[in-house]
Amino acid sequence: MIVDDEADVVDYLTAVLQNNNYRVITAHTAGDGYRLAKEEHPDLICLDIMMPTQSGLSLYVRLRRHRLLADIPVIIISGMEKEQEFNFRDYVYNKKIRLPDKYLEKPIEVDDFIKTVENLLKKRKKSRVLREKD
Amino acid sequence: MSVDTNPPINNSPSGEWFYKELFEQIPFNIAVINRDYDIIGANSSFGEYFGPWKGKKCYNVYKRLDSPCIGCNALLAFQDGKPRVSDESGIDQYGHEAHYVVHIAPIRKDKNGPIEYIVEMSRDVIETRKWQMAYQVLFERVPCYITVIDRNFKIVRANENFRDNFGDVLGQQCYEVYKKQKTKCTNCPAAKTFKDGQVHHSQQVGIKKGGEKAHYMLTTSPLGRNVKDVAHVIEISTDITTTKKLEEEMLEAERLAAVGQTVAGLAHSIKNILMGLEGGMYILGKGLNKDNKQMLNHGKDMLERNLNKTTSLVRDFLDFAKGRLPVLKMTDPNLLVIEIIDLYKEIAENNNVKLVADTDRKIRKAPLDPKGIHTCLTNLVSNAIDACQMSETQIGEVHIKASEKKGSLIFSVTDNGLGMDYDIKQKLFTTFFTTKGGKGTGLGLLTTKKIIKEHGGEIVVKSRKDRGSEFQMIFPRKHLFRIYEKSNNNVK
Repeated sequence: MIVDDEADVVDYLTAVLQNNNYRVITAHTAGDGYRLAKEEHPDLICLDIMMPTQSGLSLYVRLRRHRLLADIPVIIISGMEKEQEFNFRDYVYNKKIRLPDKYLEKPIEVDDFIKTVENLLKKRKKSRVLREKD
Repeated sequence: MSVDTNPPINNSPSGEWFYKELFEQIPFNIAVINRDYDIIGANSSFGEYFGPWKGKKCYNVYKRLDSPCIGCNALLAFQDGKPRVSDESGIDQYGHEAHYVVHIAPIRKDKNGPIEYIVEMSRDVIETRKWQMAYQVLFERVPCYITVIDRNFKIVRANENFRDNFGDVLGQQCYEVYKKQKTKCTNCPAAKTFKDGQVHHSQQVGIKKGGEKAHYMLTTSPLGRNVKDVAHVIEISTDITTTKKLEEEMLEAERLAAVGQTVAGLAHSIKNILMGLEGGMYILGKGLNKDNKQMLNHGKDMLERNLNKTTSLVRDFLDFAKGRLPVLKMTDPNLLVIEIIDLYKEIAENNNVKLVADTDRKIRKAPLDPKGIHTCLTNLVSNAIDACQMSETQIGEVHIKASEKKGSLIFSVTDNGLGMDYDIKQKLFTTFFTTKGGKGTGLGLLTTKKIIKEHGGEIVVKSRKDRGSEFQMIFPRKHLFRIYEKSNNNVK
């Protein structure tokens, strides 16, 4: 799932993921993102931080605090500077919730982005298999 | 001792007893000496101060010397018959250093006869001397520059700290010494003190003897009791060069931080645009590979949009960076509100947003920069319309109001749009922050805040998520008039 208020970014990421045979759902606001995540239980979420009305940060906290959504890997894709990334980490740390699985800076490197998505999905699959065995 | 007596004045106390008593009780140390420096009489006070005196020479008693003092005033008085006063140092009966002022007067046995005795009346001034020394140390060592100048602006006294920094400059004009200039300073605080006898303060910059710049806070006070006729002025300065340097360093650091923030903000905006451009290229590339016209058009649109964003960013950034000084003139606040309504009426209608002007005829004109306030209102109203547009459920309504409260002129723009959560509110006035995706550059509210500040006002934001927002521009009239007067003076 891609959550970003900028249509061009959503279209770009969608095109890249679809080109690599992933099924993509999209949301342009944090509120829609949360609703869609609850309905669809996506395997991975690409999340922007600066969005209208409700920021990506609020959505991130809500996702991590949701019993069924907390395990979904999240990639933060933002134009954040290092310092802002540290502020984000600090905020999340203080909320005592898990940090995002990966930070990617805009503009993305397509290969890097796809590799990250692949790795995170593999990891998730592995942990699911292990959980089912248990 | 016996004292010669004159006939008593009628009804006055008289007789030898009286003069003896007078000699004893007068609050001075009194001694009478002959031409051979022998003390031939003294009162008890003298004995108590200097010790036994009978059969001794005056120089033995006063100064524990074996021969007359060099430049003896008593000898001079014997020669010319004139009374004298001098400041002397000697030794008291306990061997301690003594300081006293002595009045010397010749005594004749008859009116035209030779001077036979000298009466020496002395008074201890050791306490005064101690105070003088303490004052001297204070004057010299106090960590300030102190100079005393006369009516010709000549330095007649200067303390050690001043001499160390500005040189030994007694007799020179203060403006030559402090400022290395040949004429009096304009707005000279010392001249004001000479004129009105009052204390004046000012901040000054001077040049020290080594040529280095000195910043100092100067206070000028009249010396003397009569404020109407000030003979001298004391100038006391505190050197604030170090503080000034720290201030300048801090300003420089703030400037660098601002540059850093601006660069970071620009980079953030450029990254978003780059992402859009790269996205456009990617989709365009895939469209070419797949010969997919829809993808080709999509990619082309993305490229166009992001090129336009680049243009907007550059234009808004230059507007913000360029800045302009507010040009205040008496303006009717209601007219500004009506102008904005006229400007946005059509845009609002096209977006299903109702614009409402809320003016008040009682509001007086105020000194405002109409162009600046117009920009502020434009930014706020355009944001409010966007907020209504983004809200899905409500019919959009934007109120623009001019009002007056507690001596302040208030413009408010209220909408029933999306409202904001805490995170967004925190970032409202930071450079390049936008929630409008491609539509905004993140400079509008920052520019608004800048213009309001230039008017001496403030911006207050109230917002509740899903309920709407209210932006108030508050301009205290006293601040507006102060800036108005200042800009008028500058123009003159």
